[in-house]
Amino acid sequence: MSPIAAGLLLQLTLAAVAVTIALLVAPTWRSRAVGLTSAALAAVGLATGLVAMTGATGTLTIPVVLPMDALTLSPDRLGGLFMAVVSAVGLIVSLFGMSSARRGPEGSRTAWAAMPVFLVGMQLVPAAADSVSFLLAWEIMTLGSTVLLLADHAARASVSSAGIWYSAMSQLSFFFILAGFAVLAGATGGTSFTAMATVEPGSLAANLAFVLFVLGFGGKAELVPLHVWVPRVLPEAPSHVSAAMSGAMVKIGVYGALVVCVRLLPEAPAWWGIMIMVLGGASALYGILQASVSSDLKVLLAYSTTENMGLVFLGLGASMLLRSYDATAAADTALVAALLLAVSHAAFKATLFLGAGAVIHATGERNLDRLGGLGRRMPWTAAAFGVGAMGAAALPITSGFVAEWMLLQSLIHGGRLNGEVVSVAASVAMPLAVAVIALTAGLALMTFVKAYGIAFLARPRSPEAADAREVPLLMRLALALGALMVLALGLLPGPISEAVLATVASSGTGAAAGSAETAVAAIGVSGVALPGIGAVLDPLLLTVLAALVGVPVLIAIVLSAAKHPARTNDLPWGGGGSRARPRMQYTATSYAEPLVRVFDDVLKPTRDVQVTHVGESRYLVERVQVEQKVTDVFETRFYRPMLNLLQRFGIIVRHVANGSIHRYLTYSFTALLIVLIVVSL
Amino acid sequence: MFDSVYAQLVGLCTGALLLTSALMVWRHTLLASIRLLSAQGLSLAALVAVIGVQENEVELLFVALLIVATKGVGLPWVLAHESEAGVRAIKEAPRLNPTASLLIVTILTILSYIVVSQLIGLGTSVTSHAAPIGLAMVLIGFLLLISRRRARSQLIGFLLLDNGIATIAFLTSGGVPILLEFAVSLDVLLVVVILYVFAGRMRTKFGGTDVDQLRELHD
Repeated sequence: MSPIAAGLLLQLTLAAVAVTIALLVAPTWRSRAVGLTSAALAAVGLATGLVAMTGATGTLTIPVVLPMDALTLSPDRLGGLFMAVVSAVGLIVSLFGMSSARRGPEGSRTAWAAMPVFLVGMQLVPAAADSVSFLLAWEIMTLGSTVLLLADHAARASVSSAGIWYSAMSQLSFFFILAGFAVLAGATGGTSFTAMATVEPGSLAANLAFVLFVLGFGGKAELVPLHVWVPRVLPEAPSHVSAAMSGAMVKIGVYGALVVCVRLLPEAPAWWGIMIMVLGGASALYGILQASVSSDLKVLLAYSTTENMGLVFLGLGASMLLRSYDATAAADTALVAALLLAVSHAAFKATLFLGAGAVIHATGERNLDRLGGLGRRMPWTAAAFGVGAMGAAALPITSGFVAEWMLLQSLIHGGRLNGEVVSVAASVAMPLAVAVIALTAGLALMTFVKAYGIAFLARPRSPEAADAREVPLLMRLALALGALMVLALGLLPGPISEAVLATVASSGTGAAAGSAETAVAAIGVSGVALPGIGAVLDPLLLTVLAALVGVPVLIAIVLSAAKHPARTNDLPWGGGGSRARPRMQYTATSYAEPLVRVFDDVLKPTRDVQVTHVGESRYLVERVQVEQKVTDVFETRFYRPMLNLLQRFGIIVRHVANGSIHRYLTYSFTALLIVLIVVSL
Repeated sequence: MFDSVYAQLVGLCTGALLLTSALMVWRHTLLASIRLLSAQGLSLAALVAVIGVQENEVELLFVALLIVATKGVGLPWVLAHESEAGVRAIKEAPRLNPTASLLIVTILTILSYIVVSQLIGLGTSVTSHAAPIGLAMVLIGFLLLISRRRARSQLIGFLLLDNGIATIAFLTSGGVPILLEFAVSLDVLLVVVILYVFAGRMRTKFGGTDVDQLRELHD
């Protein structure tokens, strides 16, 4: 048995063991026992994924009693990459959960039994080599995550509502994916990926399947307008579960899209690429806009996930567009950038959600307007969250920066091949994409300055924040691991870039396979070069250079500050700073206020100002209360009307099925008669 | 056996089957329906025995005995035993008047002849020529299910439907394997017993088994 097959089998076994432990072990030991087993499950997944990334192959065949082909699990390099990514996230999430989900509904038997189910589902989707096992693993993943999400449903009504939205949107995604596979299977006569890849490019089946797949996987990858579940589900799930959902499960959606674009339907016409780019660009802009005005820490992170996935799809779309015009070097660079972005997003978003979990654990608050000053009380969490925020804002020394740099390089240079304009479509789309990324990057910076600054700096805005304590050791360990991953990917992007490159080279079409070798090259351990474009990035070298310049300057400032005596804080006139109270600080809402005004037309916020006067006076005000709500435009303008329409239809149709057995029997009888008459005609 | 005698015997049996089915739609008391069901079961057994003798299959004779035991004696006995004299005499207030029902029975019989001749062709053999009777029985059973209000009368419709399916099976393919026939018969017996006990409970609890009235429980 090959190492990969053994790894896959071990994952299945460990998942079964973990579920059994969750069901049997007493509550005091449950979180530790299941958490450790889940961590082991994730570690095996990580190892298997890494082995598959090196190009090793192995197949695990599971025979089934149903009259169909056996389920085949056989990860290729791309699958190995994603298996490794989701497993790495699963590992730190399990560690965090061991400590955070110890009691209460989050630590219940059901919740802990669902955890390994969720993990193994995510880890096996990238291993699937045929559509049936793909869909099976996909549903296992969805089932596990739904149960985990609903952990706290008894206490909060919003959780049940989130559960309904999540189930509905998941089933919608599943339906589209199933339909896509059905179309391909119908056209080619096989359910394995290799058989489906033989579909004729440009045929009706290929086009139809592509659109269905984009809708299906786009729903899981939180693309606008299928993202409506995100701002409900990710905030309401327990934090370690949100971290796994956003860090790992969403990547499975990306993986699905990649399987379609790279493996099943590699020869894409230009309009496919443009479609993906438009979807990605819209998601990126809309996501970051909503994130930047949100004052709920987890809603902010949820919308930021939409933004990042938008960027990944933007890269993917650009790659498809460029490939359709034979600009393969730039196409490969864009694809590598999209993959790197997905990998780095897994690292920093898992860290951020775990950081948010730590904040909630310590304060019970996720409203930024009631946080503040946590940096001093929770230094570990603050540091990890800070690193994650830097990654999300794509600042240097983090993984986000490398990926976005590469994406921008490919977009800026991609429009031209050997000095010639590739096509009109590309030369219009590329600058627009660059503009989208520029706007997104700016807003992302602002968003995460807000998230970090309001939550961790300044003074506490509520007693809960003032009394916060640093979280237990295991949670700190998980946070530190996540932050280290973000930094490692950012400072030493060489190895991961090479690995991703190998993935692209092996899974691409024949034309791409040769050129991918030259599209990206690693320099040493840390550097990345793009020979096709002529750009070089060495983060470690840059950091050392920056340190060489920055450290002496810093020392000089400190020395000169030491020479001058400290100024007194007592201002003669007593106003302002000397009596600053927490209420005088910026809040998350006030910080984002200018943005809400600028993007008023897109966000459509509702404001409510209530003024209470003192007694009868018109001029003396006792209190002013401002309430601002930013709703999701897609939900209020698109989903609500549609749901209302469906409901009205349902009420009408209720008369058809009134519960009378005679009526139902009459329906069947009439149907039988009609069938008989039709066949006898 | 001479072919002409065989054909006449098959015709007699299937005729009896159709006649009992039509009479079940016409008569409204439970007791009459039960007796008709018993007669129908015996006719079915006779049909199977005739086919068995003609084809020289001993197995079919055993099946015929089984049918006599279950459909001819067992089921009617259970039905009659479970319902007290008062219930047996109760007249069903049908959803369709007898004339309309008999008219529909005629239409259904004609339809089944048309359908079967189109679907499989009536063929030359005596048995396949009589196959439409089975389909007509199924359709009439369905009609009973729809038009009867009481749970017990609906059960009669269900049993008629089951007889129809068995008739089709014997006429077109010489019957299903004996084990399967045995299992199906027992299944039907079990269903009837359960439903009857259930209906009896419902009647003692709510005072009636009119399915339409039972809907109020759900509201």
